[in-house]
Amino acid sequence: MGWLPWSSDSSSNAASDGGRIAPDRSSRQRCYEGRDLFFSCLDRNDILDAVKNDKEAQRKCGKELAQFETACSRAWVKYFKEKRVMEYNRDKTIERIKQEDAAKVEDLKSQGWTAR
Amino acid sequence: MASSIRPASRILARASRASPFSLESTTLNRTLARTTVNTQTAAACTLNNGTTTTTTIAHRAFSTSRAHLKKTPTMGQLKARNSTGPFSWKSALLFVLTGGGMIIYFRVEKERLERKRIAEMSKGVGKPKVGGPFTLKDLDGKEFTAEDLKGKYSFVYFGFTHCPDICPDELDKMAEIIDKVNEATGGEKIFLPVFITCDPVRDTPEVLREYLKEFHPGIIGLTGTYDQVRNVCKQYRVYFSTPRDIKPGEDYLVDHSIYFYLMDPDNDFVECIGRQDTPESATRTIMEHINDWKREGKPLRKD
Repeated sequence: MGWLPWSSDSSSNAASDGGRIAPDRSSRQRCYEGRDLFFSCLDRNDILDAVKNDKEAQRKCGKELAQFETACSRAWVKYFKEKRVMEYNRDKTIERIKQEDAAKVEDLKSQGWTAR
Repeated sequence: MASSIRPASRILARASRASPFSLESTTLNRTLARTTVNTQTAAACTLNNGTTTTTTIAHRAFSTSRAHLKKTPTMGQLKARNSTGPFSWKSALLFVLTGGGMIIYFRVEKERLERKRIAEMSKGVGKPKVGGPFTLKDLDGKEFTAEDLKGKYSFVYFGFTHCPDICPDELDKMAEIIDKVNEATGGEKIFLPVFITCDPVRDTPEVLREYLKEFHPGIIGLTGTYDQVRNVCKQYRVYFSTPRDIKPGEDYLVDHSIYFYLMDPDNDFVECIGRQDTPESATRTIMEHINDWKREGKPLRKD
Protein backbone atom coordinates (compact mmCIF):
# COMPACT_ATOMS: atom_id res chain seq x y z
CA MET A 1 0.00 0.00 0.00
CA GLY A 2 2.35 2.66 -1.17
CA TRP A 3 -0.30 5.36 -1.60
CA LEU A 4 -0.02 6.30 2.06
CA PRO A 5 3.70 6.83 2.45
CA TRP A 6 3.72 7.67 6.15
CA SER A 7 1.75 4.63 7.21
CA SER A 8 4.13 1.84 6.33
CA ASP A 9 7.62 3.26 6.19
CA SER A 10 8.71 6.53 7.71
CA SER A 11 11.67 7.42 5.53
CA SER A 12 9.57 9.07 2.84
CA ASN A 13 7.71 11.49 5.12
CA ALA A 14 10.79 13.31 6.34
CA ALA A 15 10.69 17.06 5.86
CA SER A 16 13.71 18.74 4.30
CA ASP A 17 14.55 20.44 7.61
CA GLY A 18 14.63 17.18 9.55
CA GLY A 19 11.05 17.10 10.78
CA ARG A 20 8.46 14.51 9.99
CA ILE A 21 5.44 15.47 7.98
CA ALA A 22 2.19 14.82 9.79
CA PRO A 23 -0.94 13.39 8.20
CA ASP A 24 -2.90 16.06 6.40
CA ARG A 25 -6.63 16.56 6.51
CA SER A 26 -7.48 13.99 3.83
CA SER A 27 -5.14 11.40 5.37
CA ARG A 28 -6.76 11.92 8.71
CA GLN A 29 -10.15 11.52 7.13
CA ARG A 30 -9.12 8.22 5.54
CA CYS A 31 -7.79 7.06 8.89
CA TYR A 32 -11.07 7.94 10.64
CA GLU A 33 -13.04 6.07 8.00
CA GLY A 34 -10.84 2.99 8.38
CA ARG A 35 -11.28 3.20 12.13
CA ASP A 36 -15.07 3.49 11.90
CA LEU A 37 -15.29 0.48 9.57
CA PHE A 38 -13.15 -1.63 11.89
CA PHE A 39 -15.09 -0.56 14.97
CA SER A 40 -18.47 -1.30 13.43
CA CYS A 41 -17.15 -4.79 12.63
CA LEU A 42 -16.07 -5.13 16.28
CA ASP A 43 -19.54 -4.00 17.35
CA ARG A 44 -21.17 -6.61 15.13
CA ASN A 45 -18.99 -9.32 16.66
CA ASP A 46 -19.35 -8.06 20.20
CA ILE A 47 -15.68 -7.33 20.69
CA LEU A 48 -14.81 -4.38 22.90
CA ASP A 49 -11.08 -4.46 23.43
CA ALA A 50 -9.21 -5.06 20.19
CA VAL A 51 -5.86 -4.97 22.01
CA LYS A 52 -6.72 -7.66 24.56
CA ASN A 53 -8.80 -9.72 22.14
CA ASP A 54 -6.42 -9.20 19.26
CA LYS A 55 -6.64 -12.77 17.94
CA GLU A 56 -10.41 -12.75 17.85
CA ALA A 57 -10.41 -9.35 16.17
CA GLN A 58 -7.89 -10.58 13.60
CA ARG A 59 -10.01 -13.63 12.87
CA LYS A 60 -13.38 -11.91 12.61
CA CYS A 61 -12.42 -8.45 11.31
CA GLY A 62 -9.11 -9.19 9.64
CA LYS A 63 -9.90 -7.31 6.46
CA GLU A 64 -11.12 -4.19 8.29
CA LEU A 65 -8.16 -4.25 10.64
CA ALA A 66 -5.74 -4.46 7.74
CA GLN A 67 -7.41 -1.45 6.14
CA PHE A 68 -7.41 0.44 9.40
CA GLU A 69 -3.71 -0.25 9.93
CA THR A 70 -2.92 0.88 6.43
CA ALA A 71 -4.83 4.12 6.77
CA CYS A 72 -3.45 5.08 10.17
CA SER A 73 -0.01 5.09 11.75
CA ARG A 74 0.73 2.45 14.36
CA ALA A 75 0.52 4.89 17.27
CA TRP A 76 -2.87 6.08 16.10
CA VAL A 77 -4.23 2.54 15.73
CA LYS A 78 -3.19 1.78 19.29
CA TYR A 79 -4.58 5.10 20.49
CA PHE A 80 -7.98 4.58 18.90
CA LYS A 81 -8.26 0.99 20.14
CA GLU A 82 -7.53 2.12 23.71
CA LYS A 83 -9.82 5.12 23.37
CA ARG A 84 -12.68 2.82 22.36
CA VAL A 85 -12.36 0.87 25.61
CA MET A 86 -11.90 4.04 27.64
CA GLU A 87 -14.98 5.68 26.15
CA TYR A 88 -17.04 2.54 26.65
CA ASN A 89 -16.11 2.41 30.32
CA ARG A 90 -16.70 6.13 30.69
CA ASP A 91 -20.18 5.91 29.17
CA LYS A 92 -20.98 2.88 31.31
CA THR A 93 -19.88 4.74 34.43
CA ILE A 94 -21.97 7.78 33.52
CA GLU A 95 -24.94 5.51 32.87
CA ARG A 96 -24.47 3.77 36.21
CA ILE A 97 -24.21 7.06 38.11
CA LYS A 98 -27.35 8.31 36.40
CA GLN A 99 -29.23 5.17 37.38
CA GLU A 100 -27.98 5.40 40.94
CA ASP A 101 -29.08 9.02 41.02
CA ALA A 102 -32.53 8.14 39.72
CA ALA A 103 -32.84 5.33 42.27
CA LYS A 104 -31.79 7.69 45.03
CA VAL A 105 -34.37 10.27 43.95
CA GLU A 106 -37.08 7.59 43.87
CA ASP A 107 -36.04 6.46 47.30
CA LEU A 108 -36.16 9.99 48.70
CA LYS A 109 -39.49 10.68 47.04
CA SER A 110 -41.00 7.63 48.65
CA GLN A 111 -39.90 9.12 51.95
CA GLY A 112 -41.86 12.28 51.23
CA TRP A 113 -39.09 14.46 49.85
CA THR A 114 -39.93 16.71 46.89
CA ALA A 115 -37.71 18.48 44.45
CA ARG A 116 -37.98 22.27 44.61
CA MET B 1 -56.23 70.39 97.25
CA ALA B 2 -54.50 67.45 95.69
CA SER B 3 -57.80 66.27 94.29
CA SER B 4 -58.31 69.49 92.33
CA ILE B 5 -54.81 69.44 90.75
CA ARG B 6 -55.34 65.94 89.41
CA PRO B 7 -58.35 66.71 87.15
CA ALA B 8 -56.52 69.76 85.75
CA SER B 9 -53.51 67.78 84.68
CA ARG B 10 -55.75 65.03 83.34
CA ILE B 11 -57.59 67.52 81.13
CA LEU B 12 -54.27 68.89 79.93
CA ALA B 13 -53.11 65.43 79.01
CA ARG B 14 -56.37 64.80 77.18
CA ALA B 15 -56.09 68.11 75.37
CA SER B 16 -52.65 67.41 73.97
CA ARG B 17 -53.68 63.90 73.02
CA ALA B 18 -56.79 65.19 71.29
CA SER B 19 -54.76 67.51 69.06
CA PRO B 20 -54.79 65.91 65.57
CA PHE B 21 -51.27 67.02 64.70
CA SER B 22 -48.37 66.26 66.94
CA LEU B 23 -46.78 69.40 68.30
CA GLU B 24 -43.10 70.02 68.19
CA SER B 25 -41.54 68.90 71.42
CA THR B 26 -40.36 72.44 72.33
CA THR B 27 -43.85 73.83 71.83
CA LEU B 28 -45.25 71.04 73.88
CA ASN B 29 -42.78 71.73 76.67
CA ARG B 30 -43.63 75.42 76.61
CA THR B 31 -47.33 74.61 76.78
CA LEU B 32 -46.71 72.29 79.67
CA ALA B 33 -44.67 74.90 81.54
CA ARG B 34 -47.32 77.55 81.05
CA THR B 35 -50.07 75.21 82.14
CA THR B 36 -48.14 74.28 85.25
CA VAL B 37 -48.17 77.95 86.25
CA ASN B 38 -51.90 78.06 85.57
CA THR B 39 -52.41 74.94 87.59
CA GLN B 40 -50.66 76.56 90.52
CA THR B 41 -52.94 79.62 90.22
CA ALA B 42 -55.89 77.32 89.92
CA ALA B 43 -54.78 75.44 93.00
CA ALA B 44 -54.86 78.70 94.91
CA CYS B 45 -58.33 79.50 93.65
CA THR B 46 -59.71 76.06 94.38
CA LEU B 47 -60.36 77.23 97.89
CA ASN B 48 -63.13 79.44 96.55
CA ASN B 49 -64.54 77.58 93.56
CA GLY B 50 -62.82 74.44 92.32
CA THR B 51 -65.09 73.67 89.37
CA THR B 52 -65.00 77.03 87.59
CA THR B 53 -61.23 77.36 87.71
CA THR B 54 -60.75 73.89 86.31
CA THR B 55 -62.95 74.74 83.37
CA THR B 56 -60.91 77.88 82.69
CA ILE B 57 -57.70 75.87 82.64
CA ALA B 58 -59.23 73.35 80.36
CA HIS B 59 -60.33 76.12 78.04
CA ARG B 60 -56.87 77.67 78.07
CA ALA B 61 -55.26 74.35 77.34
CA PHE B 62 -57.51 73.92 74.30
CA SER B 63 -56.94 77.41 73.03
CA THR B 64 -53.18 76.91 73.21
CA SER B 65 -53.28 73.85 71.03
CA ARG B 66 -55.74 75.46 68.63
CA ALA B 67 -53.28 78.31 68.10
CA HIS B 68 -50.69 75.78 66.91
CA LEU B 69 -53.24 74.00 64.76
CA LYS B 70 -53.65 77.11 62.62
CA LYS B 71 -49.99 77.04 61.55
CA THR B 72 -50.22 73.54 59.96
CA PRO B 73 -51.75 73.27 56.44
CA THR B 74 -55.50 73.02 56.30
CA MET B 75 -57.21 69.90 54.96
CA GLY B 76 -58.11 71.84 51.82
CA GLN B 77 -54.49 72.61 51.12
CA LEU B 78 -53.54 68.98 51.70
CA LYS B 79 -56.26 67.76 49.39
CA ALA B 80 -55.14 70.16 46.68
CA ARG B 81 -51.59 68.94 46.93
CA ASN B 82 -52.69 65.32 46.85
CA SER B 83 -54.87 65.73 43.78
CA THR B 84 -52.07 67.14 41.62
CA GLY B 85 -49.60 65.30 43.81
CA PRO B 86 -46.05 64.23 42.99
CA PHE B 87 -47.49 61.55 40.70
CA SER B 88 -48.11 62.18 37.04
CA TRP B 89 -47.47 60.18 33.89
CA LYS B 90 -44.27 62.15 33.39
CA SER B 91 -42.86 61.24 36.75
CA ALA B 92 -44.03 57.65 36.34
CA LEU B 93 -42.20 57.41 33.02
CA LEU B 94 -39.11 58.99 34.54
CA PHE B 95 -39.28 56.54 37.40
CA VAL B 96 -39.58 53.51 35.13
CA LEU B 97 -36.82 54.69 32.80
CA THR B 98 -34.45 55.53 35.63
CA GLY B 99 -35.19 52.25 37.38
CA GLY B 100 -34.77 50.21 34.22
CA GLY B 101 -31.59 52.05 33.36
CA MET B 102 -30.15 51.43 36.77
CA ILE B 103 -30.97 47.72 36.63
CA ILE B 104 -29.29 47.33 33.23
CA TYR B 105 -26.31 49.40 34.36
CA PHE B 106 -25.79 47.38 37.52
CA ARG B 107 -26.09 44.07 35.67
CA VAL B 108 -23.55 45.08 33.04
CA GLU B 109 -21.24 46.50 35.67
CA LYS B 110 -21.53 43.37 37.78
CA GLU B 111 -20.57 41.16 34.84
CA ARG B 112 -17.68 43.45 33.97
CA LEU B 113 -16.35 43.38 37.51
CA GLU B 114 -16.65 39.60 37.58
CA ARG B 115 -14.56 39.33 34.40
CA LYS B 116 -12.11 41.84 35.81
CA ARG B 117 -11.81 39.74 38.92
CA ILE B 118 -10.99 36.67 36.81
CA ALA B 119 -8.48 38.68 34.81
CA GLU B 120 -6.90 40.20 37.93
CA MET B 121 -6.67 36.83 39.63
CA SER B 122 -3.52 35.93 37.72
CA LYS B 123 -1.87 39.27 38.48
CA GLY B 124 -1.98 39.10 42.24
CA VAL B 125 0.68 37.80 44.55
CA GLY B 126 0.50 34.15 45.51
CA LYS B 127 -1.86 33.31 42.67
CA PRO B 128 -1.21 30.54 40.16
CA LYS B 129 0.87 32.01 37.40
CA VAL B 130 0.29 30.72 33.90
CA GLY B 131 2.64 31.94 31.21
CA GLY B 132 6.00 33.59 31.45
CA PRO B 133 9.19 34.31 29.55
CA PHE B 134 10.17 31.89 26.81
CA THR B 135 12.30 31.81 23.68
CA LEU B 136 11.21 29.82 20.65
CA LYS B 137 11.44 30.24 16.89
CA ASP B 138 8.73 31.03 14.41
CA LEU B 139 8.16 29.37 11.05
CA ASP B 140 10.75 31.54 9.34
CA GLY B 141 13.31 30.39 11.88
CA LYS B 142 13.34 33.81 13.58
CA GLU B 143 13.53 34.06 17.34
CA PHE B 144 10.16 34.56 19.00
CA THR B 145 9.92 35.44 22.69
CA ALA B 146 7.18 36.22 25.19
CA GLU B 147 7.85 39.92 24.49
CA ASP B 148 6.45 39.46 20.98
CA LEU B 149 3.10 38.58 22.49
CA LYS B 150 2.83 41.79 24.50
CA GLY B 151 0.51 44.60 23.45
CA LYS B 152 -2.04 42.20 21.96
CA TYR B 153 -4.39 39.56 23.22
CA SER B 154 -2.89 36.16 22.50
CA PHE B 155 -4.64 32.84 22.23
CA VAL B 156 -2.19 30.06 22.95
CA TYR B 157 -2.65 26.39 22.14
CA PHE B 158 -0.25 23.53 22.76
CA GLY B 159 -0.32 20.48 20.55
CA PHE B 160 1.59 18.44 18.02
CA THR B 161 1.05 17.72 14.37
CA HIS B 162 0.89 13.94 14.75
CA CYS B 163 -2.06 14.31 17.11
CA PRO B 164 -4.80 11.82 16.18
CA ASP B 165 -8.13 13.56 16.73
CA ILE B 166 -8.33 16.13 19.49
CA CYS B 167 -5.86 18.71 18.16
CA PRO B 168 -7.32 18.78 14.64
CA ASP B 169 -10.80 19.29 16.11
CA GLU B 170 -9.56 22.03 18.40
CA LEU B 171 -7.60 23.71 15.62
CA ASP B 172 -10.70 23.77 13.43
CA LYS B 173 -12.43 25.46 16.33
CA MET B 174 -9.51 27.86 16.70
CA ALA B 175 -9.83 28.82 13.03
CA GLU B 176 -13.49 29.66 13.53
CA ILE B 177 -12.71 31.68 16.64
CA ILE B 178 -10.00 33.65 14.79
CA ASP B 179 -12.42 34.60 12.03
CA LYS B 180 -15.15 35.54 14.47
CA VAL B 181 -12.84 37.66 16.64
CA ASN B 182 -11.34 39.39 13.61
CA GLU B 183 -14.83 40.16 12.42
CA ALA B 184 -15.82 41.50 15.83
CA THR B 185 -12.74 43.72 16.15
CA GLY B 186 -13.17 44.99 12.60
CA GLY B 187 -9.84 43.59 11.44
CA GLU B 188 -7.76 45.32 14.12
CA LYS B 189 -4.58 43.31 14.55
CA ILE B 190 -4.88 42.92 18.29
CA PHE B 191 -5.45 39.15 18.47
CA LEU B 192 -2.58 36.67 18.08
CA PRO B 193 -3.48 33.00 17.71
CA VAL B 194 -0.45 30.90 18.62
CA PHE B 195 0.25 27.19 18.23
CA ILE B 196 3.19 25.89 20.25
CA THR B 197 4.30 22.37 19.49
CA CYS B 198 5.04 19.93 22.28
CA ASP B 199 6.89 17.69 19.84
CA PRO B 200 9.87 19.71 18.59
CA VAL B 201 11.72 16.72 17.16
CA ARG B 202 9.12 15.98 14.52
CA ASP B 203 7.50 19.41 14.29
CA THR B 204 10.05 21.54 12.52
CA PRO B 205 9.03 24.90 10.97
CA GLU B 206 8.44 23.27 7.60
CA VAL B 207 6.19 20.58 9.06
CA LEU B 208 4.29 23.12 11.16
CA ARG B 209 3.77 25.44 8.22
CA GLU B 210 2.26 22.68 6.09
CA TYR B 211 0.10 21.53 8.97
CA LEU B 212 -1.24 24.90 10.15
CA LYS B 213 -1.91 26.07 6.60
CA GLU B 214 -4.80 23.62 6.51
CA PHE B 215 -6.48 25.27 9.46
CA HIS B 216 -5.90 29.03 9.32
CA PRO B 217 -3.17 31.14 7.72
CA GLY B 218 -3.21 33.50 10.71
CA ILE B 219 -1.98 30.97 13.25
CA ILE B 220 1.57 31.64 14.45
CA GLY B 221 3.40 28.33 14.72
CA LEU B 222 6.22 28.12 17.24
CA THR B 223 8.81 25.43 17.81
CA GLY B 224 12.27 25.23 19.32
CA THR B 225 14.80 22.93 20.86
CA TYR B 226 13.70 20.20 23.22
CA ASP B 227 14.71 22.28 26.26
CA GLN B 228 13.08 25.46 24.96
CA VAL B 229 9.80 23.62 24.43
CA ARG B 230 10.02 21.92 27.79
CA ASN B 231 10.55 25.37 29.37
CA VAL B 232 7.55 26.97 27.67
CA CYS B 233 5.35 24.02 28.64
CA LYS B 234 6.50 24.50 32.23
CA GLN B 235 5.69 28.23 32.10
CA TYR B 236 2.19 27.49 30.87
CA ARG B 237 1.69 24.57 33.27
CA VAL B 238 1.30 22.19 30.36
CA TYR B 239 1.99 18.54 31.01
CA PHE B 240 4.98 17.65 28.89
CA SER B 241 5.64 13.99 28.18
CA THR B 242 7.62 14.00 24.98
CA PRO B 243 10.41 11.43 25.13
CA ARG B 244 13.86 12.99 24.73
CA ASP B 245 15.66 10.30 22.80
CA ILE B 246 13.63 8.98 19.94
CA LYS B 247 15.03 6.68 17.32
CA PRO B 248 14.52 8.03 13.83
CA GLY B 249 11.25 6.82 12.42
CA GLU B 250 9.86 5.81 15.78
CA ASP B 251 6.16 6.41 16.14
CA TYR B 252 4.77 7.91 19.34
CA LEU B 253 2.07 10.15 20.74
CA VAL B 254 2.46 13.10 23.08
CA ASP B 255 0.25 13.88 26.02
CA HIS B 256 -0.57 17.51 26.38
CA SER B 257 -3.20 19.75 27.90
CA ILE B 258 -6.09 20.58 25.63
CA TYR B 259 -6.86 24.11 26.72
CA PHE B 260 -6.56 27.38 24.89
CA TYR B 261 -5.00 30.06 27.04
CA LEU B 262 -6.23 33.61 26.60
CA MET B 263 -3.45 36.02 27.58
CA ASP B 264 -3.90 39.79 27.93
CA PRO B 265 -1.57 42.45 26.42
CA ASP B 266 0.59 42.36 29.57
CA ASN B 267 0.99 38.67 28.74
CA ASP B 268 -0.85 37.69 31.90
CA PHE B 269 -3.16 34.73 31.82
CA VAL B 270 -6.84 35.68 31.61
CA GLU B 271 -8.94 32.62 30.98
CA CYS B 272 -9.02 29.05 29.69
CA ILE B 273 -11.10 28.00 26.73
CA GLY B 274 -11.76 24.29 26.86
CA ARG B 275 -13.32 21.45 24.90
CA GLN B 276 -16.76 22.37 26.17
CA ASP B 277 -16.66 25.83 24.58
CA THR B 278 -18.20 26.39 21.19
CA PRO B 279 -16.61 28.87 18.76
CA GLU B 280 -19.46 31.23 19.66
CA SER B 281 -19.04 31.03 23.43
CA ALA B 282 -15.26 31.30 23.13
CA THR B 283 -15.53 34.38 20.89
CA ARG B 284 -17.95 35.96 23.33
CA THR B 285 -15.54 35.43 26.24
CA ILE B 286 -12.59 36.80 24.26
CA MET B 287 -14.47 39.86 23.01
CA GLU B 288 -15.70 40.67 26.50
CA HIS B 289 -12.12 40.77 27.73
CA ILE B 290 -10.90 42.79 24.75
CA ASN B 291 -13.72 45.30 25.15
CA ASP B 292 -13.08 45.62 28.89
CA TRP B 293 -9.44 46.33 28.15
CA LYS B 294 -10.40 49.00 25.61
CA ARG B 295 -12.98 50.56 27.91
CA GLU B 296 -10.36 51.01 30.57
CA GLY B 297 -8.26 52.85 28.00
CA LYS B 298 -5.28 50.51 28.29
CA PRO B 299 -2.78 50.41 25.40
CA LEU B 300 -2.98 47.94 22.52
CA ARG B 301 -0.47 47.35 19.75
CA LYS B 302 -2.10 47.38 16.32
CA ASP B 303 0.86 46.77 14.02
